[in-house]
Amino acid sequence: MGAEVLALAFERPPIDWHAVAPELVLLGFGALLTLIDIAALERGRALMSALASIGLLAAMVPILTLALDGADRAMFGGAYVIDDYALIMKAIFVLAGYVVVLLSVNYVAEGDYWENEYYQMLVSSILGMVLMASARDLVTIFVALELLSIPAYLMATWRKRDLASNEAGLKYYLMGVFASAVLLYGMSLLYGVTGSTMLSDIAGGVAAGAAPPAVVTLGVIFVVVGFGFKVSAFPFHTWAPDTYEGAPTPVTAFLSVASKAAGFVALLSLVFVGFWNRTDVYQPVLWVLAAASMFGGNLMALRQKNLVRLLAYSGVAQAGYMLAPLAVAGTSAAVADRALAAVVTYLAIYAAMNLGAFAVIIAVARRTASAHIDSFRGLFRYGPALAVAMTVFLMALAGIPPLGGWFAKFEIVLALISASTVAGTALGVIVAVNSVIALYYYARIASYMWVEDPPEGADTSPISTPLAVTAALVITGGATLVFGILPQWVGRFTEVSLLAAAG
Amino acid sequence: MLLNQFLLLGAVLFCIGVYGVLARRNGVLVLMSVEIILNSVNINLVAFGALNDDVGGAVFALFVIAVAAAEVGIGLAIVLLMYRNRRSIDLSEADMLKG
Amino acid sequence: MSEFLRTYLTVGIFGALGVVLVGAFLGLGRLLRPSRPTPAKTENYESGVDPIGDGWSQANIRYYVFALLFVMFDVEAVFIFPWATRLEAYGMFGLVEMAIFIFILLLGLLYAWRKGMLRWV
Repeated sequence: MGAEVLALAFERPPIDWHAVAPELVLLGFGALLTLIDIAALERGRALMSALASIGLLAAMVPILTLALDGADRAMFGGAYVIDDYALIMKAIFVLAGYVVVLLSVNYVAEGDYWENEYYQMLVSSILGMVLMASARDLVTIFVALELLSIPAYLMATWRKRDLASNEAGLKYYLMGVFASAVLLYGMSLLYGVTGSTMLSDIAGGVAAGAAPPAVVTLGVIFVVVGFGFKVSAFPFHTWAPDTYEGAPTPVTAFLSVASKAAGFVALLSLVFVGFWNRTDVYQPVLWVLAAASMFGGNLMALRQKNLVRLLAYSGVAQAGYMLAPLAVAGTSAAVADRALAAVVTYLAIYAAMNLGAFAVIIAVARRTASAHIDSFRGLFRYGPALAVAMTVFLMALAGIPPLGGWFAKFEIVLALISASTVAGTALGVIVAVNSVIALYYYARIASYMWVEDPPEGADTSPISTPLAVTAALVITGGATLVFGILPQWVGRFTEVSLLAAAG
Repeated sequence: MLLNQFLLLGAVLFCIGVYGVLARRNGVLVLMSVEIILNSVNINLVAFGALNDDVGGAVFALFVIAVAAAEVGIGLAIVLLMYRNRRSIDLSEADMLKG
Repeated sequence: MSEFLRTYLTVGIFGALGVVLVGAFLGLGRLLRPSRPTPAKTENYESGVDPIGDGWSQANIRYYVFALLFVMFDVEAVFIFPWATRLEAYGMFGLVEMAIFIFILLLGLLYAWRKGMLRWV
């Protein structure tokens, strides 16, 4: 084997510099942050957050020029693809990262912990996500997954003298590496039966009759389970509530939005390109995961007393909503396109509303130092703007029109029903039932803020919100409203297809 | 064809690793169990690569090895942090967060 | 494939022979020698110093950072070896690529040095 490889002539792979510009910008800024840290140590602190946000905004520029250019680009024999789908996901990651920087500025600067490294880690993690959006190859997916996860483990453990933060990081780390190990085992089986790590080759290799069905099934299930951990689908969600509660709140916001979306990106590429011919294998697994996540997440959320834990369980349920269209995607090409558009829409809107909810929690916790539901009692009396914002985000999460979450859920149900199968309709009904269950706990928090009195002895002078957090609230609140009032606007961007690449 | 033996070894190592992750309560031993799973993956990848006469499997294995080293480095740092703060690496004692 | 494995068969036979020989000699010794245990004979160090304290001892935590750095750089070498075997074919392109790779690694080492990780306290 070795001799033939050595005899091959080497051809320099053509590199499309425009296509990889977003990644290069992020890499450059990551290296720059590290260099400044090396050179200036603590004197560089003040620069870090500004440079990180400039870097993220700078990465948006090539994403926009690529989107205007509109041509699909593929590199390394199709292992790295830049199409509309990849660009939309990259934009979501980079913008979500920007909002997280806004949320972190005061939190990290006021805490007694390393600040320089925090932004380095954040930028590397976003670089991993941006890579993941384009990855169409098992090795690239794996490297991107680790690049986004490893800094996230460290960020969850950020408050290093705090036992809760230690525990949050430890649980996240252990579940994360276990999940990626299981995922890798599945990938090794898929590579074995298809002889290739490229998703487009795997699609042909796993087709019925081409490979031993038992090995294919095992490989597909292991890969889906591995990403089930990443997107915190029930019953692989156990790390999420503990990690969310113990980790610093801006990091929690980052994990619950960006990290989850990155898991979905990989899952979408795998399902729509790699496993496309094996609907009989992946559809039942995803159906069960989706239904279990919706019921499990919502029922557990009902009895939570801590708002961050509640949002963690609600995030499990939201992952269920997003998994649901995948469970019927294989019915036909038209349903698949509709399902993909629904999931991408949901991811974009979910990012806005969930980041917004965490922004309010961060703003309130600056006063109360707690995310317990009781500390939100009577918020309207002393923080009316925050109470209004929180209500908007919660109602959007519940799916009340005319807010963004409503349009997202509507798209999901539409995609499920368009499959016109029993399984699809049943999932549609489950989504509807769960929306009602979820409304109960979202509305309960709203009534705490509006109706009840502030707890005894609480400081009820008006809350002052730092400028950066206000900016984050304006961005996320604006997006939540715009997506709900002008759904055709966001719909136009998320009309994407992965099947063209698969064919 | 000797492929089956390699796959069997991979599967056995995978099961040992999963058992270790689920049953062990010592942080460092759990890390070692994860390493065992990753090595079972490497065995699979290299065996399949040799079977298909494709270097892709060996290259994938190299990436797994490199990333696993980084992962374990982080993991040891987190376990060490836990040891510094609570003088124990028993995972069953990490139960502050629940509900 | 089979040729490749056949060469390794020699290694396997050699290993098996080693195990069998050691087992045979130990077994032979067990058969021949008399066995009359006394409490003094079953101690860990017969006719030595009595063992004190626990069997476990902790390595100094300072070694951890060095071990970690070593493992990192050691493992990154797995990318450099395959590159080195084909350096001539890759030409300038390969050289620049590897320079970038090593530069990023170097950032890590510089970081560790600047944060005082390499100092022996």
